[in-house]
Amino acid sequence: MTTEVLPPLPLVNELTAPFWEGASKGQLVIQHCNACGHFQHAPEPICSACLSFDLGSAAVSGKGTVYTFCISTQAFHPWFEDKLPFVLAVVELDDQPGLKMITNVVGVNPNDVKVGDRVEVTFQPLAEGFVLPVFRPVAQ
Amino acid sequence: MAKKNRVAIVGVGYSDVSRGTGYTLDKLTAQASVAAMNDAGIKPTDIDGVVVHSFPHQFVSSTHTAAMLGIPDLAFYSGNVDGAAYSVAAMHAIAAIASGSAETVLTIRTVHKNGAAGGGGPVGQYIPGNQQLSQPYGSFAGSHWAGMYMQRHMAMYGSTEEDFGAFAIAQRKFAVANPTESFFHEELTMEDYLNSRYIAKPLHLFDCDYPVDSSSALIFTTEERARDMKQKPVFFDSWANGTTKEADFSLVGDMTHSSPWMASKRMWSRTSLKPSDVDTAGLYDGFSFIAMQWFEALGFCGEGESGAFVRSGATSATGSLPTNTDGGACNVGRRHGANFFIEVTRQLRGTAGDRALPKKPEVGVVSNAVGGFAACALLTAE
Repeated sequence: MTTEVLPPLPLVNELTAPFWEGASKGQLVIQHCNACGHFQHAPEPICSACLSFDLGSAAVSGKGTVYTFCISTQAFHPWFEDKLPFVLAVVELDDQPGLKMITNVVGVNPNDVKVGDRVEVTFQPLAEGFVLPVFRPVAQ
Repeated sequence: MAKKNRVAIVGVGYSDVSRGTGYTLDKLTAQASVAAMNDAGIKPTDIDGVVVHSFPHQFVSSTHTAAMLGIPDLAFYSGNVDGAAYSVAAMHAIAAIASGSAETVLTIRTVHKNGAAGGGGPVGQYIPGNQQLSQPYGSFAGSHWAGMYMQRHMAMYGSTEEDFGAFAIAQRKFAVANPTESFFHEELTMEDYLNSRYIAKPLHLFDCDYPVDSSSALIFTTEERARDMKQKPVFFDSWANGTTKEADFSLVGDMTHSSPWMASKRMWSRTSLKPSDVDTAGLYDGFSFIAMQWFEALGFCGEGESGAFVRSGATSATGSLPTNTDGGACNVGRRHGANFFIEVTRQLRGTAGDRALPKKPEVGVVSNAVGGFAACALLTAE
């Protein structure tokens, strides 16, 4: 008997719902302060820039730069066993200085990824209807 | 009004340590506590404060610890699950004694081997909170952010895997000279290091601390009390925490200038001592890059120059800054920072035995953690 191996899936809450709902529609959606316009990721119940609780979300450009990365060669979860090696990265989004997210860089030989590479969002089906925003090199 | 006391370390101790003691967290905690009391030559009734730092799933509370040891009444206690590992316990105890809240405080860090390695939950488990924004990408373990910190340093400064390897090799030399505590007894070559498997390239296996069951305990007290105890006291000259604006280690604003820089700046601002006054260092090596960031943050070398600093031999027994003279947590096993406080204390008070440095140190620095939170302290023999 085999058991289907599922990826780590989100237990969506009111803060993360816009991110996951946006992804399912092919958009990268980030928490956005209605009072001061500050983006923040990961989402929190308060804006760390102005302390407003009036928080919404907004689609961002999906363009960014690889701030750093590593090539994961050991799976810490069974889902990733057959996906090694893969690039785990921090991408700084163009929409606000210092606005960064943990993600994967795909569509490239892991050994060819460099800090400073320009990347753009793309979307990968995860499981059970979830879509994961990941990044690929911007076509030269 | 509370008085401000000078704070001394008067006792240090370890539990049995191995890859699998089969002991409960309670037993390990009690073993280390007794060892530290014996080292200090004091009884439980001499202790009026207990501070523990632990992870929530490995928690042994300070009041339970006191009860196990028969400490009748606590003037100060704290059980902390947040921040820079053992140093949090140390910082609480220092603050308690310096302020006059307590006189003699037992500090403890207990860890079970499998308690800190990271990893996903059971397959099929939905991920709550903001971890749902990292785990679906395969980000689970400290080694993941560690690999990313290394990569950023390499990109910013042109450092190489060999630079980090030089550190692993240098501290292994100390480990070989510490056979009773080290789990590794042969010197490491660059070939060994580079051939060790990647966990999260550029992070190699030999960049990682060695998971063990362990408990570490230190006893702090006032200068006045310390003078009457068994060991020559070692004093805290300056101490500081530091944090980054971002709590998530993977998302800190500047990975090559994370919390060690904030803690270091604050520590130096509170002392007349300078980096050139420091004779020995115990710098946290949960991953080797962390100690490397501390060399730069503490001002022992220039920004981005930690690789060259280590390669120069500066951190060896005869160098200007013998570092991690017990072998570090990569070799003596994961103590989450406590081993650095213990080893620098032993060197400063002259109880390091065969490992006593050729030039008896008078000033030492210790540090713990990186990324979102860190702490450091200057210790002096007098």
